[in-house]
Amino acid sequence: MTPSLATRLGKLELAYPTLMGSGCYGSGEEFAPFADLSKIGGIVLKSVTRLPRLGNPTPRLVHTPAGMLNAIGLQNPGIEWYLERELHKYKDRPCKIVGSVAGFSIDDYAYVCERLAARDEIEAVELNVSCPNVAREGETFGCDPDLTERVVAAARATTDKPLIVKLSPNVTDITAVARQAERAGADALAVVNTVRGMAIDVESWRPRLGNITGGLSGPAIRPIAVLAVYEVAQAVNIPIVGQGGIENLSDALEFFLAGATAISIGTANFTDPRIPQRIAGELQAYLARRNLGSISEIVGRANVGISTAYQYEGDEG
Amino acid sequence: MALLDLHPRVHATKVIERCELAQGVTLLTLHAPQLASAVRPGQFVMAIPPSGESAATALAVYDISGKHASILFFVTGKRTSELAGLAPGARLDVVGALGNGFDCAGNQRDVAIVAGGVGIASVWLCAKALLARGARVRLFYGARTAELLVEAQRFADVGCELILTTDDGTRGERGFVTDALRRAAPPEAIFACGPSPMLRCVGQIANELEIPAQLSLEETFGCGVGGCWGCVVALTARSDRAPNFPPAQRGGSDVVYARVCKDGPVFLADELRW
Repeated sequence: MTPSLATRLGKLELAYPTLMGSGCYGSGEEFAPFADLSKIGGIVLKSVTRLPRLGNPTPRLVHTPAGMLNAIGLQNPGIEWYLERELHKYKDRPCKIVGSVAGFSIDDYAYVCERLAARDEIEAVELNVSCPNVAREGETFGCDPDLTERVVAAARATTDKPLIVKLSPNVTDITAVARQAERAGADALAVVNTVRGMAIDVESWRPRLGNITGGLSGPAIRPIAVLAVYEVAQAVNIPIVGQGGIENLSDALEFFLAGATAISIGTANFTDPRIPQRIAGELQAYLARRNLGSISEIVGRANVGISTAYQYEGDEG
Repeated sequence: MALLDLHPRVHATKVIERCELAQGVTLLTLHAPQLASAVRPGQFVMAIPPSGESAATALAVYDISGKHASILFFVTGKRTSELAGLAPGARLDVVGALGNGFDCAGNQRDVAIVAGGVGIASVWLCAKALLARGARVRLFYGARTAELLVEAQRFADVGCELILTTDDGTRGERGFVTDALRRAAPPEAIFACGPSPMLRCVGQIANELEIPAQLSLEETFGCGVGGCWGCVVALTARSDRAPNFPPAQRGGSDVVYARVCKDGPVFLADELRW
């Protein structure tokens, strides 16, 4: 029997455990000529804010040796324009559609979440409390456990739709933020957003991004993300979407084994739009090869029991 | 006649020939029948890195011939270096043909093509289309040094008049290609591709002289298909190419950020607000 790749994030049922990361997959329409959207779990739409945002100045992207720095700056038309003129595009997508909300105050988050969640075109909401590209304001929420709790609670009060909270890796203890997001009613956590970074042109001596700093994604951040998923999985009882530099089957498996229930693919779509579909096929083959019936059988199964036995007393390293 | 399939797709191509036109300038000829039949002047492809170790690279389709399509590029880093190392027989998957190219169908009889450096890769098909409809084509082509004026003779051979410039004066006039354009008798239309400062200057000249100009912009692409909004340029809000977004005020006029990859890469000089 073919192993099942179906998974759940709270009430959100996914036929495939693969989400396409917010801001990386447009509305799905842009990638439809190259990828079979019915073979992916869902698309997380680009974040929308209460008011329109022009976004950051260019250049907004820099390719670095093992990943990409971006500073888009949440360019979006604002929630009213979005509801009126954009959202209808997502109605007939053959996969789940997750809306994404960003904001600059607790009220903003709650307002946009309520307006967005009232629409049938989307089946879940992601709270982006961790964008590193909006002059630090946006990230403040995701970097402070108490603020995260208040934002999530305010959003929770506006909707029954599944709520996914996207956490920042740019914190000392991600588990503290994760616990409070769970306590406030999050249905799932997306772990992690990009890692803050910077690149400088050594000829002109100027930063290579118009915004000076940006968010690093791609394989460079994968070990950071795997650790974050592993730690968060020990700390909470809600499902985790693992994300950060997933490019192939092996990368995806690391995240499941660390404790992710689903994975999200972002930058890898820019390498090859066929990657999500390929990973899904290879996951199925991997499970079959090991006589496993479903993806859920490997979630959180990383065998870490042995490592502590080899620590030496008094070893501070 | 069979209808052309213009929908972009992933093409599994094979390298037929690799040629180093100058140090760091590579021409790859690909066996790509569907791509060759679909591509229009000024369109590009995203080349999927065979190693899978970096993001795809945006490359203009330089030429098409029968079942072959070729790409001409300067090696500037890891991604282009990998592509330049592909030997004949190697497989290269490309996504395309992407973007809105040049509209060569106008009725202007005297046109200028302005190319700076690697920008030459975007204008060969444009030059052929313009010559085919009987236009007089003057190619203003600038590069750092003589060796990098690749393929200039090829343009001359098909009937383009050449006005060459180099930064160091080793071939053609010494100086910028835009200076040569400014000194020349004004054309009826301009088609241009090159680095941003050059395009900005070409746009200024065109706007001052009220000459219609199509500029193919260079910007770092993320996805290349319009999904990430990483490669934007400001347009006047009334532009036909402006996406469905509320306009914002900038510098006293209404602007909208458009995607270079999806809404362009070719824009009209008078719709751009740099």
